[in-house]
Amino acid sequence: MALLLPPGLTPAEVGFLCEMELVTVIPRQRLDELQLLGGPTQPLNPPFPTPLPLWLALLLKRQKRANISPPPWLSVECLTSILDFETDVRTAEVLSPPPKLPRPTGVALEDEPYLSHESSELSPPFLPESSTSQAQSDALPYHWLELGHLLLTHAADDFDDANAIRRLLRDLQEVRMSKLRKGFRVLGPGAGVKMNGVGGMEVAEIRGFLLSGMSAGTNMMCRRINRPNEENQKEREANERENGFGGDDYQDDEDDMQL
Amino acid sequence: MDDDISDILASVSAPLPSQRKLDLQALTRAWVNERTSPTLLPYPSQLIDRVTDRIKKQIETIEEMTSDMDPKSNFILVVLQTELERFKFLVRSFLRARLAKIDKFPYHYRDLALSDPNILSHLEQQYLQSHQALLASHYHASFLSIFPQGLQKLDDTTGLSMIDRPEEDSAVFCRVLRDAGGVVIQSEGGAGEVELTRGDVWVLRWRAVKDAVVRGDVELL
Repeated sequence: MALLLPPGLTPAEVGFLCEMELVTVIPRQRLDELQLLGGPTQPLNPPFPTPLPLWLALLLKRQKRANISPPPWLSVECLTSILDFETDVRTAEVLSPPPKLPRPTGVALEDEPYLSHESSELSPPFLPESSTSQAQSDALPYHWLELGHLLLTHAADDFDDANAIRRLLRDLQEVRMSKLRKGFRVLGPGAGVKMNGVGGMEVAEIRGFLLSGMSAGTNMMCRRINRPNEENQKEREANERENGFGGDDYQDDEDDMQL
Repeated sequence: MDDDISDILASVSAPLPSQRKLDLQALTRAWVNERTSPTLLPYPSQLIDRVTDRIKKQIETIEEMTSDMDPKSNFILVVLQTELERFKFLVRSFLRARLAKIDKFPYHYRDLALSDPNILSHLEQQYLQSHQALLASHYHASFLSIFPQGLQKLDDTTGLSMIDRPEEDSAVFCRVLRDAGGVVIQSEGGAGEVELTRGDVWVLRWRAVKDAVVRGDVELL
């Protein structure tokens, strides 16, 4: 049975990816090492903090078997300083820089098969320290919005000031999204666009908006710019509705992986 | 300088990730790449074989544990089953995304599979052939047979080609994993070059980055 979705991950799928990020768990109960398909988990031994994938951490949290220690960037202080960067007029053209990458591990070998282990580089959601308590505090990692949202929804009591953080995340989301949209309006149809620092959910949200302009051939963008503003506005709204954030339209029960 | 040294120390002392973990990473990348690329990527047959084998074994383990009825293992069962479902979703969504592309451009991939045997798995080849045979005989029985002889073909390439091809010029979001030099991109004003530097995120035409994605220098988002 073929998949009926257009190219690009849906918001629900981006959330699924984000659940593979490692977070730091403070266990309340012992749990031995588990032999999972994705490799063994670390044994839990209260009260020692242990890194676990987010989906498992949320499962433990829901059963009150553990607490989650939020990453340092997900705090009022750090988010405020990142928000200052995002709203500064001097950096109006760029997003705040992503966290520092670890050293590259592999070199491409000649004629290596697709996806071979020898040369594969780590990337989100598998970077070891982007959302654990060891994470860099002054930068937003790739899955910042999804991770913040999931932790604030399911582990709000592990934060000192969940409401303030929620507000900051919403502000960040708005200011960054308006930057992304502004950036694209000046784009030529053929050129590449550099988008360092963009987040996973943001990609899912702007994909349709951006690609409809770039893919439909050279005249598309010009036509769009020449059209009366009203019509542009209408189209943008239609795009927003289509590529909206809720992901409610993705109702494939069989494949629904939300916990 | 200190940073460099601590990086090197960390890379030496860190334990090697297990084969299972590497496979999860590769499968996740395969899934995202396939879900976001306009054309089929090579079929990673060994990876999928290893993963489906492990899934089978894990199902057996879970069945054994269920029949033991040990109340202590109840929670462990929940964890194992949740993870199993996540894996099954990845594999299924990956294969379904591939099937969607095969269904959309059947003649194109039939011809491509002749020159590049890695593009389709054995099962996908079988599916493509029998599905197309069924469709062709159905079309023939319902209306093609009353057409003039010269108009009955479904994959005529004389004149305007009837074989649809995927749009290689559509734009993709990608992340550069390894410095990969420059790629040439065509724009209205002529050709420009983009330097691919580790960590950068770009929106580029699929045609420009396809080879780099297969090499593992770039991944799609």
